[in-house]
Amino acid sequence: MPLDPTRPDYGREAKALEALSSTAVPDQGPGMPGGPAEQAAEARTLWGDALRRLRKNKLAVAGLIWIIIVILVAITADLWAPQWLGDPVDIDSSTAASQRLLTPSAEHPFGTDKLGRDVASRVVYGARVSLIVGVLAVAIMIAIGLIMGALAAYYGGIWDAIIMRTADVFFAFPYILFAIVLIALLGPGFQNVFIAIGVLGWPSIARVFRSSILSVKENEYVDAARAMGASTRRILIRHIMPNAVAPIIVYATMSVGGAILTEAALSFLGMGVQPPDPSWGNMLNDAQSFMLTAPWMMIYPGVAILTTVLAFVLLGDGLRDALDVKLKE
Amino acid sequence: MAPLLEVDDLHMHFFTRDGVVKACDGVSFTLEAGRTLGVVGESGSGKSVTAMTIMRLIPEPPGKVVSGDIRFKGESILTMGEKEQRKLRGDRIAMIFQDPMTSLNPVYRVGQQIAEPLRLHKGMTRKESWAAAVELLDRVGIPQAEERARNYPHEFSGGMRQRAMIAMALACGPDILIADEPTTALDVTIQAQILELMQEIQQRTESAIIMITHDLGVVADMADHIMVMYAGKPVEYGPSDEVFYNPLHPYTWGLLESLPRHDVDDKGALCPINGQPPSLINLPPGCAFNPRCAYARPECLEAIPPLVEIENGHSSACLFAGDIDFICQFENRVKRGDAGTGVGE
Repeated sequence: MPLDPTRPDYGREAKALEALSSTAVPDQGPGMPGGPAEQAAEARTLWGDALRRLRKNKLAVAGLIWIIIVILVAITADLWAPQWLGDPVDIDSSTAASQRLLTPSAEHPFGTDKLGRDVASRVVYGARVSLIVGVLAVAIMIAIGLIMGALAAYYGGIWDAIIMRTADVFFAFPYILFAIVLIALLGPGFQNVFIAIGVLGWPSIARVFRSSILSVKENEYVDAARAMGASTRRILIRHIMPNAVAPIIVYATMSVGGAILTEAALSFLGMGVQPPDPSWGNMLNDAQSFMLTAPWMMIYPGVAILTTVLAFVLLGDGLRDALDVKLKE
Repeated sequence: MAPLLEVDDLHMHFFTRDGVVKACDGVSFTLEAGRTLGVVGESGSGKSVTAMTIMRLIPEPPGKVVSGDIRFKGESILTMGEKEQRKLRGDRIAMIFQDPMTSLNPVYRVGQQIAEPLRLHKGMTRKESWAAAVELLDRVGIPQAEERARNYPHEFSGGMRQRAMIAMALACGPDILIADEPTTALDVTIQAQILELMQEIQQRTESAIIMITHDLGVVADMADHIMVMYAGKPVEYGPSDEVFYNPLHPYTWGLLESLPRHDVDDKGALCPINGQPPSLINLPPGCAFNPRCAYARPECLEAIPPLVEIENGHSSACLFAGDIDFICQFENRVKRGDAGTGVGE
């Protein structure tokens, strides 16, 4: 369950999570009140358990660390990248000719591109584009997907049929092609890229959430909540959602990787972020004609895409194992 | 004054693709404050559907109340709006479910869940309801309630969870407590404890209990009245002792016969009822029990026998109730010691 500051035990749970991240709480059997066992019982929440299991998965932790690094780099780019590496967009026309296609050196760690811009600086700023597109696209996906999935699962019948058949229509088209058509309609550009990816991505979220709700809905505690006099809205939000979101968290994490990849593909094709603004995808596009003469133009953005997408997928994979309560260590 | 709960010729049918399932077909009973009604029958006899209909927990469609009425303190539950029903549920009428393992939400602390009906119905703040929840846990016999309230359901044992469920049902001091096989998922020693707890609570709070079970032993001590259901219909209704000592329907007799007993020399053999309960879509003609009944006669196939009062407050839906002295229907049981004794002595 997400930490909700309005809950009475918010502080306690937050503390339990803190305790978990600083010191490993020894795994103690449940149900022994008093003493250290009680402390362990405090920490033994669904999410506390998940966090503990996640920490054991080295690949997932590595992915998480890489994601944090990329985020920090993207956030702080303005403070150091232009000063140290050079401006990612504007070129000083007087010196540009001498700065073109320089091999990596101390001054330009990733080399320079065909216009004399620093590749490292452009990769750093490209991280911003990738992360923002990834997160916003997934946010759109989740916003639409959760509502659609919940409607389909909870009301069933005609609602279910309409929503799920619409989702099938989306699945019927080749993804990239559909995205290209959508962007051709909306016009290329940064903002339309994440809108297109988000709009195209919701059916998967809706499907995952729908099946998750359908299985949670059968639980007796949902009947118990209704027998207690809770309203439909309350049951959905308080009793079904928290039990059904685990697969969504996993799927969303992996989708961020997918969205970054799609953005890169669209920018590569010239449909996404427009030059001169840097994006890992359009940098690859620039690098095409210099593949053999200036491979650094291609390698660094390529590696950035690879590692970042991989990091999200590994984290998602780790979360899936961590959130699966049936998996006992 | 109107009785606490009146169920009047209730017909709850399910309209499925395969046909109409008459899950609850003509059930009537009244329940007075502080009394206990035992509803007994095999799986699929309509016990739970009856209870769920009273709680209005049956999704419509496919379910539909075709006719009949349910009145709580004289007011029809069926004509109430959703909001009014919600006010009743959990506050005036509460329910305990069969499987305590799955009827608590795994992501909330036990205390929070017990507090929820209090916050819903009594408008208590978090603090007040938490304190009340701890007190309730203590009342249902959970030691160190203060700490236990902070536990999650998976840290509770089955018996403790059922106690927590009872605490949750009792939170608002309901007039009626519906217990749908509350002890089926528990082992025998815990069963006895839970039943004892329910009895104790009833004595203290004067609430009425509807106890649904397929185990006659469970209701033997508790119930004031017993309703035996078969294929969606009540086949026998009467005071508890009467039903046990003088069953007037061969089905009730069969249920009693299939209980293991220590006072009869039956060489360990039980005396089950032959066959399976009928499909509720395709009921056999006439009395639904006739294909399995050792006393079935041609008349049994002609019409559905109504539930008629045979003796003082004791009714049966058998054409020959009172005429035939039902004895063991099956040959695998050696002659009984005393045909008159009931069960659960």
